[in-house]
Amino acid sequence: MLAQAHTFTIEGLQTRHVTVELDVRPGLPGFAIVGLADAAVREARERVRAAILNSGYEFPARRITANLAPGDVPKAGPGLDLALACAVLAASGQLPREQLESHVLFGELALDGRVRACQGTLAVAQATRDAGLKRLVLAGARVREAKLVEGIDVAAVERLSSAVRVLRGGAGDPPPPPAAHETSADGARALGAAGAPPDLNDMRGQHHAVRGMVIAAAGGHNCMLSGPPGTGKTMLAHRIGSILPPLSRPEAIEVTRIHSITGGLASELATSRPFRAPHHSITAAGLVGGARSRWIGEVVLAHNGVLFLDELSEFARPTLEALRQPLEDGRVAIVRAQHSAVYPARFMLVAATNPCPCGFLGAAERCRCTETDLARHRRRLSGPLLDRVDLLLHLEIDEAHDLAAAPLTSSRNARERVVRARERQAARLQDDGVTVNAHMSIRALKRHAALEGKGEEMLRSALETGMLSARGQHRVLRVARTIADLNGKARVGARDVGAALALRPEGSPAPSRAA
Amino acid sequence: MDHACGQCRRRSRLLAELGVSLDYRCGDRARLFELLALSDEDLVGALGGRRGEELRRRYSQVHAKPVDASRDGPAVCRHDPRYPSALSGAWAPPMLNVGGAVDRLAELTAGPVVAVVGSRRATDYGIEMAKSLARGLAAAAVTVTGGLTDGIAVSAHAGALEAGGSSVAVLPGGLDAGCPARRRSLCERVMHRGCAISELPRDCAPRRWGQAASERIIAGLATLTVVVEADEDPAELAAARLAQALSRMVAAVPGRVTSPASRGAHALLMAGAHLVRGPADVLELLFDEASLGAAPALVPARATLEPRLRRILERVGEGGDTPDKLAGSAPNAAGTLLALSELELMGVLARGDGGRYVLRDAIAPRESAGGAC
Repeated sequence: MLAQAHTFTIEGLQTRHVTVELDVRPGLPGFAIVGLADAAVREARERVRAAILNSGYEFPARRITANLAPGDVPKAGPGLDLALACAVLAASGQLPREQLESHVLFGELALDGRVRACQGTLAVAQATRDAGLKRLVLAGARVREAKLVEGIDVAAVERLSSAVRVLRGGAGDPPPPPAAHETSADGARALGAAGAPPDLNDMRGQHHAVRGMVIAAAGGHNCMLSGPPGTGKTMLAHRIGSILPPLSRPEAIEVTRIHSITGGLASELATSRPFRAPHHSITAAGLVGGARSRWIGEVVLAHNGVLFLDELSEFARPTLEALRQPLEDGRVAIVRAQHSAVYPARFMLVAATNPCPCGFLGAAERCRCTETDLARHRRRLSGPLLDRVDLLLHLEIDEAHDLAAAPLTSSRNARERVVRARERQAARLQDDGVTVNAHMSIRALKRHAALEGKGEEMLRSALETGMLSARGQHRVLRVARTIADLNGKARVGARDVGAALALRPEGSPAPSRAA
Repeated sequence: MDHACGQCRRRSRLLAELGVSLDYRCGDRARLFELLALSDEDLVGALGGRRGEELRRRYSQVHAKPVDASRDGPAVCRHDPRYPSALSGAWAPPMLNVGGAVDRLAELTAGPVVAVVGSRRATDYGIEMAKSLARGLAAAAVTVTGGLTDGIAVSAHAGALEAGGSSVAVLPGGLDAGCPARRRSLCERVMHRGCAISELPRDCAPRRWGQAASERIIAGLATLTVVVEADEDPAELAAARLAQALSRMVAAVPGRVTSPASRGAHALLMAGAHLVRGPADVLELLFDEASLGAAPALVPARATLEPRLRRILERVGEGGDTPDKLAGSAPNAAGTLLALSELELMGVLARGDGGRYVLRDAIAPRESAGGAC
């Protein structure tokens, strides 16, 4: 007897439709699975067998062959268990076969017959809708995530027996109440950090850097924080999440989908932007993806959010070089022998570094690095990566402000300004297919950041004196546009250009350090 | 064209040959300079050791074969009229290999020469001061000299080149091998416009004693030695001490009294060195005041600035040199940043280490030049 069930397997961030064809016929008892199954799928044999028996059904003592079609797609993970078990039951006459045609079964089985949740629920729910199948059967813990997708019917099942009941036309189990740790006040869960992000009013002094950070957040600009140890680089970077605007619904779905597949998120729609801060020992594959066991890299996990690289000069050179494509294109193309894929990776880069190996260059003459040390440090930082940084913010050892000093702004006020600036940008840029100034094309830049009078003159003389390259000029224009947006001005003025020039990452035309 | 005699060329090769032995003695500079003042015969006797006999055979005047000068580039020895007259005395090297041209060296060392020396680990203040001094001196057609070591020395050469002047670089090794790779391009630019000199054969790698010996050439060449930034370290003050020993003029640029980088300069000032605030002070020391009028091509750019820009410039000069100090809690932060950018575009400010702004002396176009600075 033959039965068919539908499910999905996850390949990178994509889902692939899998038809489980299961044949039960007389012969030596056995259970074979064919169709490019990985170890987790092959182990499903034991789980399916135990779960069926422990749920009170009969496991046919015959020759069972399961084929996972299409045969050229590698199947991974334990999510196929439920479909296999139901196909066994249908092929052995314990379940009506026709019902299986319209259902997607997605879940891992425990030996006692319970159904466990699997990673990638949102992606599977979207694929179910796209494939035109009407009902998704999955573990109760992930029902809320699946229900984010409109247009499909989602049935929660706690056990294999509940799945059988659903397939016979009955109702699903009620979904479990959300666990306390999964929700915060606004019903959402912060990604990468538990609880609400820390507030900008924790910062004392460093007003220049805080202002710069608000500009970076408003325009989605990549920025670099430089300063001696202990001045608050990391502290400031960790507060960027609190001033970024909330995710829009399409962005939130995108983020949730990615983090649901990689297992970083439990069953809710993400509302805060991802903040990824990998340690500097990370490899290139870890950062952009493509490792066999870690196909999705940090840049993809930081999509629509922030990638924070602390101690930038400690990262391996090849690792940083690998960031060039995602920073330029907002996506990453990974090509390996078995597999190739293109993933979204549109993030805001925040990097922090000491100004020199000892950390005290330019600070009260305490630096004792030699010229060679400095040259080496600079070589590590400079080059193509620094070329994609729009803002360089210097933090300094600050004797003037003690810990009791008043902060410049609170995250709430800053965020309001950022949100307003972003609304202005989005309205202006809607025909250009981008939402923030940092991603403006050069053509859009010419149209939206036209200069006149003194501003134009300043930019031209910066180009003539060698203070800026052509690319640097565009960067300054983008930042100037953002500063104008923050101040609610329609045109970019000389003051905006001046401030953007003072924040540019390039050094002076005749750099202080000679030759 | 050969301006060096065979005897002096042989001396140069002999020094290269004895490099290791000389390195052993360079801890005590006085002893090193005594050794360098010895005749060839005595030098081999003092340092030759077991190789003495062989060296004597190869280098002594009696047995030597004629020196093949084609292997070496241009050189000038003390028997030639083009040899810098400041380098006379037993301590001075008998011969200099010249990168550039011998005639140019003679020309450059005919007038007053100023050595700009100081720490290798200079702060951006010291670097800007060294550059601005060299720029001013180059504009006044005064030759600048110094080593090609990091920090102050290199900045002085760079400053002189920026102003279109020429400088004389003294290398611790041979002209081909004595310059570290990262200084190669600067060295070539110096040679293009001025000269690089060395008392060792071209292919001789830089040695420890060569460093000490090059400082005696620097101090000897210079009419005035200016210490821009130096710690109280004998090595950093060596050139100034040598200049004092040769009874040449010594001057120093003061820094902040709290800064360890300027401790040595302050010690010199305490001991009676001339105080130098800028190129004008140096020129005043070199020439009498009457000749000052025509010389410098620097312009007092600050007097013509708008008041708001001048205010910012003054605050930077007072030590409020970072955007945070200047604009930290001010309501008009953007205005301050704008002023900083404008000043930077004018070339009056430069952004240095750690985002600090440093004052620079802008070189004005020649036609608008006039008056002292």
